Amino acid sequence: MVTVTLPEIRKAQPLPETKETALDIQELDIYYGDYHALQNVNLPIKKNAINALIGPSGCGKSTILRSINRMNDDVPGFRAEGTIQYDDVNLLHEEIDTVALRKEIGMVFQNPNPFPKSIAKNIMQPLKEHGLYSKQNLSKKVEENLKQVGLWEEVWDRLHMSAYSLSGGQKQRLCIARTLSIHPEVILLDEPASALDPIAMAKIEDLLLTLKESYTVLLVTHNLQQAARIADYTAFFYQGELVEYADTKQFFSNPKEKRSADYISGRFG
Amino acid sequence: MNRKFTDKLATATFTFFAMMIVVILTALLGYVLYMGVQQVSWDFLTSKSSTFRAGGGIQDQVFNSFYILLWTMVFTVPVGLAGGIYMAEYARDNKLTAMIRICIETLASMPSIVLGLFGLLVFVNAFDMGFSVLAGALTLTIFNLPIMIRTCENAMRSVPIQQKEAGMALGYTRWRTITTILLPSAFPSILTGIILSAGLVFGEAAALLYSAGMTSPNLDYGNWNPFSETSPLNIMRPAETLSVHIWKVNSEGIMPDIREIADGGAAVLVTAILIFNIGARMIGTWIHRKFTSK
Amino acid sequence: MIPIMQTTEKASERLIRKNKKLSLKNPERNGKVIVYSAAFVTILATLAVTIFLTQQGLQSFYMSGINPLEFLTSTNWNPSGSNPSYGALAFIFGSLSVTVLSALIVAPFGIGAAIFMTEIAPSWGKKILQPVIEILVGIPSVVYGYLGLTVLVPFIRDHIGGSGYSLMAGVIVVSLMILPTVTTLSADAFNRLPNGLRSSSLALGATRWQTVRRVLLPTAMPGLLTAIILGMARAIGEALAIQMVIGNTTILPSSLLDPAATMTTIITLNMGHTTFNSAENNVLWTLGLLLLILSYGLVMLVRFLAARRKF
Repeated sequence: MVTVTLPEIRKAQPLPETKETALDIQELDIYYGDYHALQNVNLPIKKNAINALIGPSGCGKSTILRSINRMNDDVPGFRAEGTIQYDDVNLLHEEIDTVALRKEIGMVFQNPNPFPKSIAKNIMQPLKEHGLYSKQNLSKKVEENLKQVGLWEEVWDRLHMSAYSLSGGQKQRLCIARTLSIHPEVILLDEPASALDPIAMAKIEDLLLTLKESYTVLLVTHNLQQAARIADYTAFFYQGELVEYADTKQFFSNPKEKRSADYISGRFG
Repeated sequence: MNRKFTDKLATATFTFFAMMIVVILTALLGYVLYMGVQQVSWDFLTSKSSTFRAGGGIQDQVFNSFYILLWTMVFTVPVGLAGGIYMAEYARDNKLTAMIRICIETLASMPSIVLGLFGLLVFVNAFDMGFSVLAGALTLTIFNLPIMIRTCENAMRSVPIQQKEAGMALGYTRWRTITTILLPSAFPSILTGIILSAGLVFGEAAALLYSAGMTSPNLDYGNWNPFSETSPLNIMRPAETLSVHIWKVNSEGIMPDIREIADGGAAVLVTAILIFNIGARMIGTWIHRKFTSK
Repeated sequence: MIPIMQTTEKASERLIRKNKKLSLKNPERNGKVIVYSAAFVTILATLAVTIFLTQQGLQSFYMSGINPLEFLTSTNWNPSGSNPSYGALAFIFGSLSVTVLSALIVAPFGIGAAIFMTEIAPSWGKKILQPVIEILVGIPSVVYGYLGLTVLVPFIRDHIGGSGYSLMAGVIVVSLMILPTVTTLSADAFNRLPNGLRSSSLALGATRWQTVRRVLLPTAMPGLLTAIILGMARAIGEALAIQMVIGNTTILPSSLLDPAATMTTIITLNMGHTTFNSAENNVLWTLGLLLLILSYGLVMLVRFLAARRKF
């Protein structure tokens, strides 16, 4: 269904199966102390696509996300083995500059976490932090950025109000805008719409569909319908294991594994 | 029936204990302020103390209290803030951290008179500072440091983890996350903590007896040369604070109006402490509101 | 759409940490230096206090040749006589009795008030009692001493007996001073208990008092003991307020109404008039060291209890 609604993408891009791989996860094992959280995961994350990771709580899907941008480095007992190949580097390599990495691989969290500042400053602060602005273009950049997430029309007249005055969905779009402001290549989203009402959720989903034109999107969700609606590829995790990875349509219409079929039909999870 | 009666009796007893505390505070403050109000006048606040004659004031002592407080805070706030940041953001679960925690607990429960003795031994004698503003402020720094570190650590820890994650995920370095995201959020609690601890420092006397001393030179408020013996700004001069003065007057004063000076001094001291206390609360709430609304 | 800053560089050039020289301008490194220095200062301060006071406190034994056993067990304090003796038992006794007695008085009050704050009327407790207690904590000890001197001492003299300057006055003043500490920390101990403990006991038909006595008090006990011990730590170190009301004799008191002295009061009074490094001065440092040791002991006790604390 995705390809029908977006014909130009189809023209510009090859068929999903042959899409380039942005992040190649190979033989990834993750431990928290003695607990083996992820076991031998092999998963190619496709460029310019929405890649959904689904599975019941505790299956390790968020752990993958937080290993990619190395947010788990400070967790006591955390250990990752294997490869997450990105261009010509392994992101798990200890010489990786995590600060540079996180600029390139942005992250959006489950609970919207704008800074307790004005709407405009939420965008301006990261721009300033990374020197991505000049005096003349700062407000222009904020505008472009908010337009990108469809927030400009809603907030243009109150940019100096606290970000906390926004609704939940608006906050989350502001957080996405903030992540986009520093030009990442990949965006990791950890259940970004699970705390939102259906309308706000739909807006986020529409936004993600437009974002995949320019970014690689990796979406953790426990909402199967959401994955079915917007993801190009779906990976199903169960108890730290990658059970099945496939083109979304194929995954939902014709799962190869019994556990996938059980999960889709709501038999567990 | 019996069961219910015991329950009621217990409730009544605990309520009585709690009421007692409120009554005690009200009585204490009421007494001090009531006795003091009759003694405190502009003249009392702005005239020099007198050793033998009646009619002495507390001008120099009040100035000394604030001046020593100022220097104590100049030393304590940076170290306490950095220490709190260390404990909240850098400390790993290792021996060093455990050791620092023990040090903080030990310092916090050290008797202030013992800290005063240390000040006498090291700052006054070994470093040859003599009884001085500086020696007093350094001694009080040790007194205040554990409080400050704890305050700042708790303030940093109370910032939601989501804020820190937002910073990290945006490619902020650890230090930039701390300074641009965590510190501004923690600022209201830190400020409240600073003011509350300032109240404790302002009232402290035992640590100062033998570090800042129990006398004050004849201060000339027109003399702004910090190296002059009579300048109030000189940090190498002895400086009797208001608390020390109250103690000295009460326990070894020989002027005829001991009682009047004690009443007035105590009232001024308690008023200052109340202002610190209530001020801390009000400023904390105000800043918090300013940050999160608008 | 915002153009992506696509570079032709390989990711390895962007993401692998360059072997940056640790330059003085690197804020990351400077920040680390700053916070580690502060941690170091804290350790240094603690060690310095301990080492200097230990060194100075032992002078009386190896320099002035005072017998440690006599110092600890004799009540004969006569440092300025022709045949000086330095028995500090009266002061040690004074300190310990003030500490223990005030803890005994305050424990039921503080814990009772804490139960009121947490179990009976939490909203009232939070709105009124909490600020009241915080203000009480902030009131300087000289103010307590002044109140003791002007209210309590005359009251004891007129209504109970003796000169008024007495062990009793000292105990009462110190009790008032540690009451807020004990109350707050006890309330914390109760607040830490999980709510399920209360509801399950109440669901079994227990009254509130039964719940408190049989479930909450035993579970909170390590925390309550910690509260009392920290109160005692404050009591044993209190100097000026006691000094103002206790009468300051060097004789062992035989009743609560007798004047007495504590380690802190004798230090307070005599440190100023004795010559540095004289025997009389050295014993004062020894008393200071003893205070330090006692305070260390209490901290260790608190740590021991914290390890046993379940909530």
